[in-house]
Amino acid sequence: MDSNTTLRKETKNKIRVDYEGKLSFKERMMEKLKASNTWIKAAVNFFRFVLMLGVSFVILHPFIAKIAGSFMSKEDVIDSTVAIIPKNATLDIYKYLAIENGYLEALLNTTLLSLFCAILQTLIACLVGYGLAKFKFKGNKLIMGLVILTMIIPHATMRSSLIRHFANFDFLKVLVYDYRGIVDITLGGNQLDLLDTFWPLIILSVFGLAFKNGLYIYMMRQFFKGVPDELEESAYVDGSGTFRTFFQIIIPLSVPMMITIFLFAFSWQWTDNFYTTIFFPGESAMKLMPDMYSEIPKSLTFEGFAGKDLFEDVVRNTAAIMIIAPLVVVYLFCQKYLVQGIERSGLVG
Amino acid sequence: MNKKLTLPRRKSSLDARRARSGYLFTLPFIIGIVLVYLPILIDSVLLSFYKYQGSDTSPGEMEYVFNGLESYVAAFETPDFIDALLGGFQQLLLEVPTIVIFSLFIAVVLNQKMLGRAVFRAIFFVPVIISTGLIETISASDDMTGMMEGGINDGTGGEGIMQVEDLETMFAGMGFGSDIVSMVVGLVNDIYRIINYSGVQMLIFLAALQGISTPIYEAATIDGATGWETFWKITFPMISPMILVNAAYTIIDSFTRSTNVTMQYITNNIGDVGQAAAMSWIYFLIVIVVIALVAAILSSFIFYQRRD
Repeated sequence: MDSNTTLRKETKNKIRVDYEGKLSFKERMMEKLKASNTWIKAAVNFFRFVLMLGVSFVILHPFIAKIAGSFMSKEDVIDSTVAIIPKNATLDIYKYLAIENGYLEALLNTTLLSLFCAILQTLIACLVGYGLAKFKFKGNKLIMGLVILTMIIPHATMRSSLIRHFANFDFLKVLVYDYRGIVDITLGGNQLDLLDTFWPLIILSVFGLAFKNGLYIYMMRQFFKGVPDELEESAYVDGSGTFRTFFQIIIPLSVPMMITIFLFAFSWQWTDNFYTTIFFPGESAMKLMPDMYSEIPKSLTFEGFAGKDLFEDVVRNTAAIMIIAPLVVVYLFCQKYLVQGIERSGLVG
Repeated sequence: MNKKLTLPRRKSSLDARRARSGYLFTLPFIIGIVLVYLPILIDSVLLSFYKYQGSDTSPGEMEYVFNGLESYVAAFETPDFIDALLGGFQQLLLEVPTIVIFSLFIAVVLNQKMLGRAVFRAIFFVPVIISTGLIETISASDDMTGMMEGGINDGTGGEGIMQVEDLETMFAGMGFGSDIVSMVVGLVNDIYRIINYSGVQMLIFLAALQGISTPIYEAATIDGATGWETFWKITFPMISPMILVNAAYTIIDSFTRSTNVTMQYITNNIGDVGQAAAMSWIYFLIVIVVIALVAAILSSFIFYQRRD
């Protein structure tokens, strides 16, 4: 260390050094103020901060309104003097939604379904993405093309075919339906009705065909492309096989990315209403999240009440809060990894 | 002692073994495509050539009758369907550039060092996680939020920040056509939707921005480039491939969303499955054409960094 400098303080990120001719804090600040671009910089920073604050408000304000509305009694809803803070705060809406629409049951079922699907989808995206990124084989490009294809053909296009495929499910069936006996090559025999069970979604997840799985596979592939080959090569030299390398070297490395994919898969499955409506049709015994808002609980239906429609909106919005509350918890836990995973996904190039 | 000399099993070449591993890793997807996806896909295409109707031979029963291209012809003769298609297309034309530019802007800002950046990032990713599917459906049929907040509304009530009429008179006074004005005002009022739909695009841009190596920026700064110049000469070309990706993603996302005009028309109004399938495929083919067009236009502007 130089003779005229003295080490003053050392923290994790900064080392402060005193040296001869160093200006005091006050003097340094004065110098800064005199500099011409300080004010412009401050103005830009301020403007940027306010802008971000504004956009954040736009994102969050519906949730603020929803939360405020959820505590209102039916008189508050039509009271024009009540804007955000209810006068007669009550938990009635939550109570009746939970009791009469079977919140706990829906919560349990949806948690199980989303958890199963998200774990499967993450693992499959990981496997397929790794295979596509790191191995040269005939048809690699073709498979990648098919992944893109599954991404761009909306499942809504194949709505009725999806329903029929799983209503008369036979694993070895090549073409699904008998249009006047033209094409129906059934190899297995027994046909199963899989509607009203988790199986359709689990089958789609196992094969990486569920909602937005093409995107997950693509993201995983881009991530693995960014992992240097030397890492695996050194493992091979040390005598580790392909699969051992994958499980012991690659998987631990890609945990942030996998958590990102898991978070996407979990929350998109959680709030999904396309698959849940087609695979669990109307009179379904299985309670899932869409059942939370599709019907207004009887105790909250006030015939002849002036603000009936508006109050029903409030109830539906409360249902929305109850649906997303668990998700918010999951998101807060995973958020750190989400940003990290996105940054490392190397979606570039 | 009967020691047998066994020759080592002839091993296949490294390339062949690597190829085999590649197939093994992608096996789940291959099986899925062959056994689940293609049957459903083919079924859906076939379905569009059939009609589900009461049987002629055994009354009271329903059966599928081959219909040829009639469903397709009928689709084009349905004015409502054409209207929905055109409406969706118009919406797309406005939305895609807006979303891409907006998400790029936000990504650039979120990439800079600023006060509370981590918190802002967390907030900006909220729509990606939450404002989908169910919540979107609930919000779409929601009058409450607007009523309670006043906020940005369509000028029908409340003391909103932006009153459509005020803006329209202001712009009309400046000599803009009323179509352009209502378009712009529509976009401004849609700010909530646009922010909500730019989540994934923002993530993609952010990842791309972080992938640009800092030495390039340092070199530019040393050569005396201003921030403005740096953005247009370095940042923009470097992330231009992602603009194409995002444009394509936005188009797909916008077309396949459950609140999309055409999607809703097809799911709600069409009882006949054959007819619905035909409309879906027409719709999908249009999507493909649009994406191809956009890709063709954008790819001439894209700068690809040569990688060694």
